[in-house]
Amino acid sequence: MDNLVITATHIVNGDDVHAARLGTRFGRMDLMSQLALLAVEPLAPHFESVARERIAICLAAGAGSLATDLEYWKGRDNTGGPSPTLFTYTLPSAALGEIAIRHRITGPPLCFVGSSRDVLPEAAELLRLGEVDAVVCVSVNVVTPGLAEWLAAPPVATACAALLRRGGVDGQVVGEFHRDLETLCYYLRAQLTTD
Amino acid sequence: MQPLSPTVVIASYGAVTAAGPDAAALLAALKANTSGLRPNERFSSPRFQSNIVGAAPRNPAFASEDNPAHALATDALAQARRAAGDLKLAPGRIGFVLSTTKANIEALERLSDGRACSEQARRHLQPELLAADLAAEHGVGGPVQTISTACTSGTVALQQGAKLIQRGAADAVYVVGVDHLSAFVVAGFTSLKAIDPSGCRPFDRDRCGLSPGEAGAAIVLVRADLISGPPIELCGWGSSNDANHMTGPSRDGSGLALAIRAALKSANLSAVDIDYVNVHGTGTPYNDAMEAAALRTIFGEVCPPVSGLKGMLGHTLGAAGVVETIACVLALREQLLPGTPRLSIVADGMPASLVKEPRAAERLRHVLKLSTGFGGVNCALVLRHG
Repeated sequence: MDNLVITATHIVNGDDVHAARLGTRFGRMDLMSQLALLAVEPLAPHFESVARERIAICLAAGAGSLATDLEYWKGRDNTGGPSPTLFTYTLPSAALGEIAIRHRITGPPLCFVGSSRDVLPEAAELLRLGEVDAVVCVSVNVVTPGLAEWLAAPPVATACAALLRRGGVDGQVVGEFHRDLETLCYYLRAQLTTD
Repeated sequence: MQPLSPTVVIASYGAVTAAGPDAAALLAALKANTSGLRPNERFSSPRFQSNIVGAAPRNPAFASEDNPAHALATDALAQARRAAGDLKLAPGRIGFVLSTTKANIEALERLSDGRACSEQARRHLQPELLAADLAAEHGVGGPVQTISTACTSGTVALQQGAKLIQRGAADAVYVVGVDHLSAFVVAGFTSLKAIDPSGCRPFDRDRCGLSPGEAGAAIVLVRADLISGPPIELCGWGSSNDANHMTGPSRDGSGLALAIRAALKSANLSAVDIDYVNVHGTGTPYNDAMEAAALRTIFGEVCPPVSGLKGMLGHTLGAAGVVETIACVLALREQLLPGTPRLSIVADGMPASLVKEPRAAERLRHVLKLSTGFGGVNCALVLRHG
């Protein structure tokens, strides 16, 4: 079995969304999908050499879709009811669908809610079993100020992404997976800065 | 020494659905082809497209007004564990996978309206905390995962449970699917005009939408050598993405066909080996047509018997894949081809092998279970009668 290699990583936060230009649909998405798409965007050139059905997406949605749920439910007494557009995003896996649509990725989708600790081990397993040739690993977490009060957690809007592949391509060899995706992305960014 | 990829079997199951309080009630409904969809006072308001829903009964032992997700999940899991008996496993060898789309969304409605809401109910707004608490309450000391891939969550959760066992992370895994009826979800489907006002009729000429439902469903997966008796094996799985549209399926069914091919490959089977297909069958015009297209792609003109159960149970979202897999297990055990409740006149273009009324199967060894969902997700499972 070849080594597993991270070929690219990227980290974004809420401030990055305002300057982003990712087409007309982007503005209609919820913040979680916007952040996830922005985190994945710099990875896209690495998809070109891989058949789209051989790419998996493995997403961790930290607080799930609760921020969007709250926003959607605020419209419950509107004439005509709450927004159908927002309802579409009241699923933790909505960002996964947006990533797949933008990059035409048709391989296995997997979405965990909560910590991203399962993302790398599951991605590695998909590669080891030969089910896919690359895995887009994404962690996204949105806790708006209104939601923060309910969850007794600090507000946050952040996403990170990494492309995991089998060896034979350039990148950082990954030896173990006992860490969550955010920790790995920040570690690799720090290493690049040091180098 | 254990084999590299041990066989994974279904040891037991429990289900609280619109068909009744347990798996026995579900089996009775399968045999009689009855529908559990009923008008429900709670949704009798112009805010909702229909008041016809699949409501599950509440077990007084677990009932909780502000935490229906925990109540339904606990009831189903208690049934499944009781049926499994003592597996004689250390807690660290038991895993847990929760499948849900909205967890305890009741708490969000209560908090938004300033109504009473217990700390536990608020906590279970977060799916991973609902999973953590259920796992702890049921003696799980092994890996815990929370899966939420829209309406494929249940089948993907079963796939994940099987993988945990195959890679040696656990010897048994409790897979629990739960979603409860809520104004939140019914108003959402109303906003999309996706509800059939007279109750869903999958594959019917006059179908025009789904019926919301709720369920708690649990399956105990174990390594095959841990139990005796003729097993039902979870022997294949595959998933895919349409990469096409957030709420509409791809018209040609190519995404679902991709998932089916992956499932057949992982089970080391061909299409001709499948004896029955249990479809997702929401009753929306596009979903049913897409599934029919995917089945044509895989099976050509010789499609095995096909049926769908949302006319019986409603669309139970994150629980659907688990509860409908339980129905497939019951079908395998009873050698029964389930019908398609509420189907009257089959629409053009649907499989000619659609089963309207349940009947005894001539041969039922391999069953294919399909799920699809928002975001273009698809999942297929293969079950084998040992």
